[in-house]
Amino acid sequence: MRDRASQQAALAGLGRQALSGVDFGTLLQKAAAVAARELEAEHVAVLERTHDGAGMLARAGFGLPDGVLGGVLPVEPGRLARDLGAASSIAAELGSRFGVIEAHSREPDHFTAEDAEFLEGVAGVLGAAGERAGHEDLVRDSEAQFRELADTTPALMWMTDAEGDVTFVNQGWLRFTGGVAGHEIGGTFAASAHPDDRDELLRRWTEASERREEFRCEYRLRHGESGGYRWVLELGTPRFSGGDFVGYVGTATDIHERRTMEEALRASETIWRELADTAPAMMWTTGTDGAITFVNQGWLRFTGTTFQEEMGQSWALGVHPEDAEPMLASWEEALKERREWEGEYRLKHNTGEYRWIHDRGVPRIVGDRFVGYVGAAIDIHERKTMEGRLLEVYEREHRIAETLQRSLLPERLPPIEGVALAARYLPGARGAAIGGDWYDVLERPDGRVALVVGDVAGHGLRAAASMGQLRNAFRAYGMVEASPAEVVARINRLVMSGVEQVMATVLYLVLDRESGEVAWSAAGHPPPLVIAPDGARFLEGGRSVPIGAADPAVFREATAILPPGSSLLLYTDGLVERRDRPLEERLNELAEAAGEAGDELGELCEHVIAKVLGEGDPSDDVALLAVRPLPVADTEISLTLPAEPGSLAQLRRRLARFLHATGATELEQYEITLTICEAAGNAIEHAYGPGDASYDVDVRFEGGELTAVVRDKGSWRDKRGEHRGRGLAIIEDLMDDVAVERAEGGTLVRMRRRVGENRAA
Amino acid sequence: MTAPAEIVLDRRDGSVVARLSGEVDMSNASYVRDQLLASVPNEVLTLVLDISGTRYLDSAAIEVLFEVSRRLARRRQELRLVMPPDSPLRRVIELTEVHTAAPVFESLEDALS
Repeated sequence: MRDRASQQAALAGLGRQALSGVDFGTLLQKAAAVAARELEAEHVAVLERTHDGAGMLARAGFGLPDGVLGGVLPVEPGRLARDLGAASSIAAELGSRFGVIEAHSREPDHFTAEDAEFLEGVAGVLGAAGERAGHEDLVRDSEAQFRELADTTPALMWMTDAEGDVTFVNQGWLRFTGGVAGHEIGGTFAASAHPDDRDELLRRWTEASERREEFRCEYRLRHGESGGYRWVLELGTPRFSGGDFVGYVGTATDIHERRTMEEALRASETIWRELADTAPAMMWTTGTDGAITFVNQGWLRFTGTTFQEEMGQSWALGVHPEDAEPMLASWEEALKERREWEGEYRLKHNTGEYRWIHDRGVPRIVGDRFVGYVGAAIDIHERKTMEGRLLEVYEREHRIAETLQRSLLPERLPPIEGVALAARYLPGARGAAIGGDWYDVLERPDGRVALVVGDVAGHGLRAAASMGQLRNAFRAYGMVEASPAEVVARINRLVMSGVEQVMATVLYLVLDRESGEVAWSAAGHPPPLVIAPDGARFLEGGRSVPIGAADPAVFREATAILPPGSSLLLYTDGLVERRDRPLEERLNELAEAAGEAGDELGELCEHVIAKVLGEGDPSDDVALLAVRPLPVADTEISLTLPAEPGSLAQLRRRLARFLHATGATELEQYEITLTICEAAGNAIEHAYGPGDASYDVDVRFEGGELTAVVRDKGSWRDKRGEHRGRGLAIIEDLMDDVAVERAEGGTLVRMRRRVGENRAA
Repeated sequence: MTAPAEIVLDRRDGSVVARLSGEVDMSNASYVRDQLLASVPNEVLTLVLDISGTRYLDSAAIEVLFEVSRRLARRRQELRLVMPPDSPLRRVIELTEVHTAAPVFESLEDALS
């Protein structure tokens, strides 16, 4: 919405210039510029009718594209607006035949009726001036015309003669002052001014008129309607005719609102600044352009600068170079939209170091006018740096815990004869703390494999450390205790007797590789999953409270037989627990995902993680352990083993599974294993030495008879120590038939024994 | 890789009871020997070695039994073995005549009486 008062003042100013005898061409240019500004128009054009009346000459304009000025257009209303692509336009005739002034806008319906009225006024001034330019001698006529025109505007206008006596005041003036024309004319200048302002007004008037200069004064003028005074801005322009000074033409504009607002603002500002200076906070104000107009003592105490140094834009020099750009960008954006602004940045302190401050500015609206910002800042350096340090400490702990966690988990699972193994550990999402999940595998003295998956309650370093202790406890008790429930019970007692409160859920399971028999105890832990060829199902039973929850506590165990070709999946609840879903549903998803994965255990883990956990980091950490007894050949095994004592256990393992498959009794298994291993022991002792020396073992089972051949690359020496003699005695006694062949390349022992029936003594 | 073996020690009625579980072969025989010898203080008269839970003993392990028995005898101490009658080890123990060096009992209670 354009300001009507401003339009009137502009019109009055234009009138003044017209009367002051300015060159007509210049006046047209000025009128175009003034009209464009006051109408917020894209272009304004003054078109003059050519002498033959057949065209319109673009005589003056504002905002017009190159090439329009000086050109001639057909006489056709709205032609130029159309050519220039304007969406709306208004036009007014200049005088009777002179031409037309028109304003265009790109926006539809841009112009109001008041705009049109204003443009009529401009056209009136120009028309009068144009005619006067054509008939210079008719000054008085034009003055009369001016008066006529002046009387039609609501602005306040006046004229004086060369002596300074008032010769004319318009209707607007009289309406304002409530005076009568006769009383305002003559040596009455300043008669209606406020007594307090009259001296100043006369002093300026005298000064200006003596020098024939522009006159300007703000003063309080009597206001008839209210019976008081109102502030006006009075402007006067000297008039010349044929080079002679003939007096002044002037206008007065009502600036009462602005002036009183400014005064109120100044008064409140003074109070505010005094208040602000006593406040411990750092405070500031800006003008409408965002330049600093005030900072309080608190601010200056912080920066150690002077008030002058902080004014305008230079305060930003104190902002830390790394913060300046983003901070100024956000400030300028807020300023453009006159929104509240808030920022944290480092500002140079009087000590020379940068300190973090929190700064906030809100737009100040006085009446309905935006007058700038007022803001306050506080020093948040301690908090901010503490936050940074805390974050650092937190991240360090997270890193240490993760490192500890990983160092406590077996880097690679130990190769265990006869089973395939795979494990995965996923730390919780960054930001969430590391938990205490672990997995472990160990080979028990009784030949069974113990598997454990656990989850220590809590997060961070302590949980990871507790996990390490529990893992070791399971290794120790797992070695000596055969019963899973007893292992768990012992560890519970250990934990409950400790000083530190530790709580953990654990699934401890022992697997017999040969028979596929499993025994397990689930201490507050979700059940293990069996993935059998005919589908996946959970092993129920053997459930009890978590470790560290109660003492004494009853721990149960359960047993089951894995169908041939099955895999087992042990996991922690990070895999299946989700706040938004019932556990039952998650377990079903797990079984479904595991059932559709292939035989390879690494792939099984990956598939389950991808399907059950989905994309992204898990919120809690997750440990997975998958195991599968490998299928056993039951007719023949053929092995090449390194010639070192450590290979014997591996050989026994392979033999145990092979012999189990043949259906040999426990006693037969032991005795056959013993004889083959005794022969292998000889091979190891006779090997040429360390390095790549090896020996071969071939075992066949056919028609109830077992044949074993142990071949080395060294040569047998008899009776090397008493126990070697015993070794040979054992072989000969426990086998039906033994043959030793010594050759260049090494020694071969061939042994036979019937299995499953009474053998010859 | 050495064979997995575990020894759990206990004091009962002036004797040391060592329960040997797992497997003993040439890879860990000397370890088992050292553990057993170290487990017997001077004031104890008997080391009872319970092999009921032992899954495997080879000739190197048998040799350890002889050696431990010999070393204890020098200190006027005795090695006794506990082995149930149905143990798969029985035949080997008898075959190698371990019982001549260390008396064999069918239960822990028998060995301690």
